[in-house]
Amino acid sequence: MCRRIFLVGFYFLVMSCESFVSDFEQEAMEADIYESKNISHVEPTNKPKVVTWNIRFGSKRLPWFGDSCGDDVIMKKKDVESNLLEIASAINEINPDIVLLQEVDISSKRSGYINQIQYLLDNTNMNYGCYASIWKADFVPTNGLGKINMGNAILSKYNLKEAERIGLALRTDQSDLVKYFYLRRNILKVKIDDLGLYVVNIHATAFATDSTKQIHIDKYLEVLSKISDGGYSFVTGGDLNSLPPGASKYDFCDFDGCDSERFHIFDEKGKETHKEASYFDNFTGELEILEPLYLRYASAIDVDVMNSPDHFTHAPSTSEERWGIKYDRKLDYLFTNGPGGWISDSARTYQELWRLSDHTPVSGILTMSED
Amino acid sequence: MRLKLHLIYILLLTGLFGRSVWTPQASAYLLPEKKWEIGLFQPFRYGFSEKINYSIHPILFFIMPNLSVKILHQNGKMFSSATQHGFYYPTRLLKILQTGVQVGDKTASLIAPGFKIPHMLGFSSEYILTKPYKTGTLSLHSGVNFGLVFGDLDTRTSIDLPLVYHRLGVFYNKYGLDAGIDFSKNITDATSYSFDLDLKFLPGFSGSYSFEHKFLLHWQKSKRTRFSIGYKYVYGNFPYGKQSRLLPYLPLVESWVPMFDVQWVGFRKK
Repeated sequence: MCRRIFLVGFYFLVMSCESFVSDFEQEAMEADIYESKNISHVEPTNKPKVVTWNIRFGSKRLPWFGDSCGDDVIMKKKDVESNLLEIASAINEINPDIVLLQEVDISSKRSGYINQIQYLLDNTNMNYGCYASIWKADFVPTNGLGKINMGNAILSKYNLKEAERIGLALRTDQSDLVKYFYLRRNILKVKIDDLGLYVVNIHATAFATDSTKQIHIDKYLEVLSKISDGGYSFVTGGDLNSLPPGASKYDFCDFDGCDSERFHIFDEKGKETHKEASYFDNFTGELEILEPLYLRYASAIDVDVMNSPDHFTHAPSTSEERWGIKYDRKLDYLFTNGPGGWISDSARTYQELWRLSDHTPVSGILTMSED
Repeated sequence: MRLKLHLIYILLLTGLFGRSVWTPQASAYLLPEKKWEIGLFQPFRYGFSEKINYSIHPILFFIMPNLSVKILHQNGKMFSSATQHGFYYPTRLLKILQTGVQVGDKTASLIAPGFKIPHMLGFSSEYILTKPYKTGTLSLHSGVNFGLVFGDLDTRTSIDLPLVYHRLGVFYNKYGLDAGIDFSKNITDATSYSFDLDLKFLPGFSGSYSFEHKFLLHWQKSKRTRFSIGYKYVYGNFPYGKQSRLLPYLPLVESWVPMFDVQWVGFRKK
């Protein structure tokens, strides 16, 4: 009896020893699955509409300290709910079959601990969801940020299978302490049997000043190739934090830099300084980093217009009030290897929704057959 | 240095290393008159008389003024009873934790900047009943805590960590209740062990309760010095759900370390 009590007690104690920050050591692991509380049956379509959207954890254009020239850290729960309701309304209006989301919070102090996947499932016509955490820690001390759980999500009207979180490499340009509390980016992959399609969502590194972005894109291409080589179709996309090949502007330091920041000066090592996430020529080949994607797969936004200002998807959240700029670069993409590709002229960049995030949604309609 | 000081504040704040200023002493027994006792992470206790003990936390006192008084009501062979009453003023400490420390180009803090931390006073009152048995000494305690806030305290200033959340929760909830059991037993003349179970309850609060359990082994090295080693386990409800933890936990080495304390005792010359 004593032995049994000891074993139960020991198991209880060991199970409670969770690490403070989740490091997701395994390269591939099962992703979390969610369901709407109001599931409605939807007949499979051969023209599914797909959207990708970085929803910035439901903060709209908040001057958040981490990615804009602002000081805000933690939002009021009622503000987050109101923002999410607007995002849900926008999704319902677009009426997609599949939604690829980035920067979704499920249990973060900054967004009132709202499970945003569940909220969006329950307030849109989407039925199923899956989630892979990018940033999961009991307490992030940076500016008192506190508990965080943010990641990539895929929502769908159709049932999801084989949801998988594929880990991406960590940055190498950070101190060990900062790295410990930092993001663990990933690719989220799931199968929709009803459509005979894999869906792959990625949020590649934004702030790395080393070649981590190249490693992320290489891994992304590897995952897509494996699906293709297996004879399957996929639709993929996300926030690639990279410019389209041939983009005319690749240095946004002066616009994105905050009042106290100075860039384009030389540091003690003689290296020119740039703002993280605002400079897209950190290493050889970065300007053409997405070329293999465009060469191998069909882009929803046509190659001819990929650098058009009409398809810019991002500007930092404080750019509008500082410079009157709502969007000045394209970072969000949709691709497919499907035999029918995209219905021509079906793709849209919803720039009118710029107020709902620092990224605008991008959509396209697939054709599931060759004719 | 500033970073180390902050880490000490945080450790003291969580009371990881023993009963802190805002929780009662384990038993109804008092220190004898003129006897004092202090630990690295424990308050300074002083036997003012046969019926009254004072205690303050000397390290914390300058950033969180605090005082508690234990009054003996009955000291019998069957059982002893006492009450303990205390106050603390956490505003200055919380402001220091909000200011944080600079780590590279980032600021590490426990509370986000931009929120006003108003003046606050915490009061606690506990009743303690202790009964000796052949097998050891058993104590029961229960009490009430009040948090007075002079101004607006934004709920987003809460520190949502085990041990801290439910202690500071009294300022958001205005009041809280607690109850617990302590047991201690001598193993040999020089060694003993003790364990406790504590419940903290904040009725109506988001994340309304926590259970804490502590186990300590003590070694009385000499009449004046005692070493303690052990662990603390916490299970609680938080604004984000339920969580359990073995503490203290050192995140950078991915392991928990046993709590450790050294205590000194002495007598004031009459």
